[in-house]
Amino acid sequence: MTEEVPEGATLAFLIEHFQEKDRALIVEHNGRFVFPKQYSTTTVSPNDRVEFINPDFGG
Amino acid sequence: MNVSTLLTEEQKRRYRRQLMLPEIGEEGQQKLGRAKVLLVGLGGLGSISSYYLAAAGVGHLRIVDRDAVGLENLNRQLLHSTDDLGRPKVESASEKLLRLNPLCHVETAIVDIGDKNASGLAKDCSLIIDATDNLATRHVLNRVSLQKQIPFIYGGINGWNGMAATFIPGKTGCFACLFPPERTRPNETEFPALGPTAGAIASIQSMEALRILLGLPSRLAGRLLTFRGLEMRFRSTPIEQDPECSLCGRPQEG
Repeated sequence: MTEEVPEGATLAFLIEHFQEKDRALIVEHNGRFVFPKQYSTTTVSPNDRVEFINPDFGG
Repeated sequence: MNVSTLLTEEQKRRYRRQLMLPEIGEEGQQKLGRAKVLLVGLGGLGSISSYYLAAAGVGHLRIVDRDAVGLENLNRQLLHSTDDLGRPKVESASEKLLRLNPLCHVETAIVDIGDKNASGLAKDCSLIIDATDNLATRHVLNRVSLQKQIPFIYGGINGWNGMAATFIPGKTGCFACLFPPERTRPNETEFPALGPTAGAIASIQSMEALRILLGLPSRLAGRLLTFRGLEMRFRSTPIEQDPECSLCGRPQEG
């Protein structure tokens, strides 16, 4: 799905905006894994692909 | 323990259908026979991975689980049966694994694995298979993987979904690069669980384990393979080592 977000929005902003509460959340930005500590410094550009992956810890 | 350099007639017959694979052959089969693997968790994932590894002729499995078989396990934990209710999982497991393949040495440990006993449990093992059901234990396995410098194959499931990745000390990042210990999620005491999800992920882990034990390059190293069962889709996310990882951080080799 395509979303419109403010210019210069960071991944941290998107996580908050979409109310992703999962503290172990994995974020993929343009097909690459992003380290959690980079969420607040990684900005998104038009046509970027962002995936939120909720990890699975059951067994 | 006998360490024969040649396969017996029984072994040639038992493993005939996989000996046909050029990646295995008699030499590969002997490698599997010499291998010692630590497999932690004999629930949904562990039922499948332990069964496939024993069937394929992995010589030595050390299986760890402190739990007993419960009725709510039996929608997916195929290694156990209704007759095993109340029995320690590793005992139930060991019996079935040996019935399938008496040539497999199965060592059991009815314990919680933690930092105090992980090193001993991983002794002489060349691979760690994650079949656990919580994040904290996975971090224990990650630490011992780094300490022993042996690969750790992560697998996790939740309902229709699952994921797997291989961490190889010295080659890839570690589990903590992906899931920094400070970003913990409260342990779920009960997660939704469906049999085929465990089957799919554990089969992937087993195939990867055989690949590594045969000396073939890992195909899950440096990537997270995610399965979403409702859409019936796999996706692969490349993952890098975190140079600032508190556990394995080091500059990338140029």
